[in-house]
Amino acid sequence: MKPLAQVLLAVVLAGLQAALLHWLGGGAFSVSLLAPCIVYVGLHAGNVDGALAAAGIGFVLDVLAGTPKGLLTSLGVAVFLVARAAAAAVDIRGRSGFAVLSGLAALGLSSGALLLARYTALPEAAPGLTLLPRMLGEALLTCLVSLAVLPGMRRLDGLFHREEPGLLR
Amino acid sequence: MFALLRRYRDLLLVAALLVVPLGVFFANAKKASERSSLDRAVLWLTTPVERAVAWTVTGSLEAWHGYVALRHVREQNVELRHELTRLQVERQQLLSDRSEAERLRRLLSFEEAAPMRTYLGAKVIGVRLGPTGLQLVTIDRGSADGVARMMPVVVADGVVGRVHAVDGHAADVLVLTDRNSSIAVRVERTRARANVRGLGKPDACKLDYALRAEDVIEGDALVTSGTDGVFPGGLPVGRVTQLRKSANGLFQEGTVIPGVDVTRVEEVLVITSAERAPEALPAALAPGAAK
Repeated sequence: MKPLAQVLLAVVLAGLQAALLHWLGGGAFSVSLLAPCIVYVGLHAGNVDGALAAAGIGFVLDVLAGTPKGLLTSLGVAVFLVARAAAAAVDIRGRSGFAVLSGLAALGLSSGALLLARYTALPEAAPGLTLLPRMLGEALLTCLVSLAVLPGMRRLDGLFHREEPGLLR
Repeated sequence: MFALLRRYRDLLLVAALLVVPLGVFFANAKKASERSSLDRAVLWLTTPVERAVAWTVTGSLEAWHGYVALRHVREQNVELRHELTRLQVERQQLLSDRSEAERLRRLLSFEEAAPMRTYLGAKVIGVRLGPTGLQLVTIDRGSADGVARMMPVVVADGVVGRVHAVDGHAADVLVLTDRNSSIAVRVERTRARANVRGLGKPDACKLDYALRAEDVIEGDALVTSGTDGVFPGGLPVGRVTQLRKSANGLFQEGTVIPGVDVTRVEEVLVITSAERAPEALPAALAPGAAK
């Protein structure tokens, strides 16, 4: 149930992202509100729940970006695993750690998509390295806006949190 | 065996979620993607959010412009009246010029009938110009309004793109700067043929397939040639810049600055039909003419 709710939140955020980018700059820059969602499930969800949510969010990215099916779904799960590995190696509790990881996740998603699309697309339609500044800008902005996504994800998490009777806090 | 599967069930599931979509991607990467009902459901959920944000922002802006920003309106009003008088005089002059041009055109028989295009106005409600996927803008008109795939989308400054996917009340427009967009064009000055292909970023396109021998210079205006089956001829596309001729090769290369800044588009026109009246054959070629 929780992965489904997280995917639904991702859908709402994706719509919000498209509309806000239209009003703020008209698309001159881009930002990924969904990368922080994947990072959050990587840091806080279980293996199966988190992977399902990450795949769902990746699917939403696939649909909205118009990329061939499976590209961002797979990359979403990969980013989830990387976030999980990072959480195991380093203690990421603060907002700044989350923001940095979200920025890196956005960069990972876009560079992964670029590499895979280069590998499969026709040479004349393959994305080039000219997109690199735009990808770095997207990562930087994602890093900043992830701090606005974090409370939403926490609140959603709280809705599914059950108090265990007798547990000392 | 089952015990082993049960033991590594979580790991296998995560691996499947990673590998299966990748397989699906490689299997379908070179096919044109069609939207499934699940895709449409996702987009159906995002459209109201985009509309709600558009409504809120427009409402706030209207409130601002309608009440708060009305200071100094009297002085502006006087200035605008003067401007209006001047423009009315210019308009009369232009109407007179147009009338003369019409008469000359009829005399020279260049064109018997005017193009009969029908347009549908639409508002941009969302943009997806990220580096990851397609360069799309979402408009608030869909199949219920008569919009269909591949219809050209334009503004007064020129081509915006073509309709990529349509839902009931919204449509995605693939803008001309997308990597998958290729528009057949002519150089307005010399009628030389070329293609304009997107680079995946909103401020520049690439000049493709312009033969070395063709007369193209920097600053040349490009218009649609009408030969790609999507865009009617004569629509402005952009201007040539950074033209390069390598020592060998068939083609010259260049960059095209699009006539339309896709990041600033607010309202667009969808060309819902671009039929032209059939042109009459010259008398000598008409069926039944004496040989």
